Amino acid sequence: MRILIVEDDVEAAGAMARGLSETGIETVHAADGVLGLAAAQAGGFNVLVVDRMMPNLDGLTLVETLRREGDQTPVLFLSALGEIDDRVAGLKAGGDDYLVKPYAFAELSARVEALARRRETGSVQTMIKVGDLEMDLIGRVVHRQGNQIDLQPREFQLLEYLMRHAGQSVTRTMLLEKVWEYHFDPQTNVIDVHISRLRAKIDKGFDHPMLQTVRGAGYRLEV
Amino acid sequence: MAIALPRVFRTTPFRLTLLFLTVFAASASIFLGYIYVATAGEVTSRADQAITQEIQSLTGVYRQGGVKSLNRSMVERAAGDRPFLYLLRDKTGQKITGTLEASPVEGFTDTPSSVNFKVTDTDPDGAEIRHSARGQQVQLIGGETLFVGADVSGAESFVLRILRAIWGAGALVILLGLAGGIVISRNVNETMAGLNRVVIAVRGGDIAARATLRGVNDEFDELASGLNDMLDRLERSMGGLRHVGDAIAHDLRSPLSRLRARLELALIEAEAGKGNAEAALVQALEDTEGVLATFNAVLAITRLQSAVDAPDQVRFDPGDLAAGVAELYEPLCEDKTIEFKLEATPALAVRGNREFIAQALANILDNAVKYTPEGGAVRLRVRRRASGEVEFSVTDTGPGVPELDRPRVVQRFVRLENSRSQPGAGLGLSLVAAVAEAHGGRLELDEGPGTLDGSGPGLRVALVLPRLG
Repeated sequence: MRILIVEDDVEAAGAMARGLSETGIETVHAADGVLGLAAAQAGGFNVLVVDRMMPNLDGLTLVETLRREGDQTPVLFLSALGEIDDRVAGLKAGGDDYLVKPYAFAELSARVEALARRRETGSVQTMIKVGDLEMDLIGRVVHRQGNQIDLQPREFQLLEYLMRHAGQSVTRTMLLEKVWEYHFDPQTNVIDVHISRLRAKIDKGFDHPMLQTVRGAGYRLEV
Repeated sequence: MAIALPRVFRTTPFRLTLLFLTVFAASASIFLGYIYVATAGEVTSRADQAITQEIQSLTGVYRQGGVKSLNRSMVERAAGDRPFLYLLRDKTGQKITGTLEASPVEGFTDTPSSVNFKVTDTDPDGAEIRHSARGQQVQLIGGETLFVGADVSGAESFVLRILRAIWGAGALVILLGLAGGIVISRNVNETMAGLNRVVIAVRGGDIAARATLRGVNDEFDELASGLNDMLDRLERSMGGLRHVGDAIAHDLRSPLSRLRARLELALIEAEAGKGNAEAALVQALEDTEGVLATFNAVLAITRLQSAVDAPDQVRFDPGDLAAGVAELYEPLCEDKTIEFKLEATPALAVRGNREFIAQALANILDNAVKYTPEGGAVRLRVRRRASGEVEFSVTDTGPGVPELDRPRVVQRFVRLENSRSQPGAGLGLSLVAAVAEAHGGRLELDEGPGTLDGSGPGLRVALVLPRLG
């Protein structure tokens, strides 16, 4: 996987590149918007990580330009602006995800990975299969090893998200944003309780647990 | 070099007075000038008419009786009270008779025209007086010339009196106008000076300076009260900014000091080959998370407090929103064997920022679950009050908050003694209060359902939003 980091803070970009290369991701760094746009136009990246505020050309304009040119490479915006309208502006400009600085590295790598994989499921799916877990998106039923698992609507959505990102780490914040569509962090880790309920339904009674806790990051659905 | 005029002459009202006076004087001059021209013209044309008639009458006498008859008639007329001056000369220009010594007219023009001339007279004291006169000269058939004039000094002095009156009145008007202008300028100047003093004081840093109203409700009072209003708002928002700064400094200094101390200690221990560097890093990372959470909460609260209105307000069903947040917290209650119930009146409507209100509700529920012992109950209710306001209320069966402490727990970082063991920074209810205020609503704290089996009396926290429209 190859990603482009467009970030004028060279030190932050360096740390990001080092961290991502630890997880096997190849990174290219552009130190301002103009260089970033040129690099992105040259193509060959799975994900673009773009800082919103940069000299010469700001992140929003960069992404708007790319989208106008028909480039659909997933974009993760990084920003020190965390207000609701800032996030909405980022998504309107053509960004796919928005991360407020300072962020946990696990959060960044999980989101980059999620964006990179998202592209691979282009066609409309009716069934998702992860190992022996099967989800029927039309009939809204889940089976594991042929046994039907009864899920509440929200549990279904949660499992769907985990299955679509099977093998990837997803953070609690990502789940709260993508499944519940809340953009705040509750003081108590309510997500953990929902996960343990889901885990009880899909893993209990099976010798191979699928829903793993990733220390310091979140959760991962393993095959 | 510009001449430094007294201040009062440089004021706008005085300049306006001058401008007005100039316009007035110009139009009055044109008007009075017209009257003068018309009056003076009338006086001369009357004199000319009288002269022409006299000449016609005399030439009539001449035609019938010749020079002798004319001479006699002229002598009679001059002796009478006719106001004319006469001169009859023979062919050689020698005076035959008349009251004038010499003709003011040299030669003749084809068309008889009037001339102006002066006559010298002596008044009873023997002093010479020169009078203005007008006259016409005609040549008689026998070659004699007849000149008839009239003293117009009486009429002229009348015109002159009018002219003097006009000038006098004009000067009086201008003087009065200037005086009025100065008085008005002084008056306006004093009022403006009061306002200017306020502006200068504020510019100098005294934001508390205010203009005094004269209580006459004129446009200056309006300006003064507008200025005061503006300064009130400015002072409040400056206070808000200072509050943000103070809050961030206060709230972040202590956790950052702790973090720094921990890292320093870890470094000292690592250098000495003691301690567990990895554990220290993990701990430091956790501390950082805490600092960031506090920072975000303080920023959100202070931003809401300094904003007049919450941003991105939409109309939505509060029951739906409550159901969503309830769904998030319900499993948490179940895990803690707390009975959770949601009671929502369907199809209500409120206006607000969904995200902020959901977060406020989550904070209230968070607290309720945190402080309610196992086996207790938490109820989330959404209903419309008789007043039309919509309330989200969360009632728990926890220990509650003593009435005296209730206003205090809403303040930032206030955590009551028995809650110190619980995690949290003590910002939850402050954010709820800030959200309520940013929507024109309020946060209410009451006693819960009462004491039962050693637990209670519980707490009822209500987020009240104003009625729509």
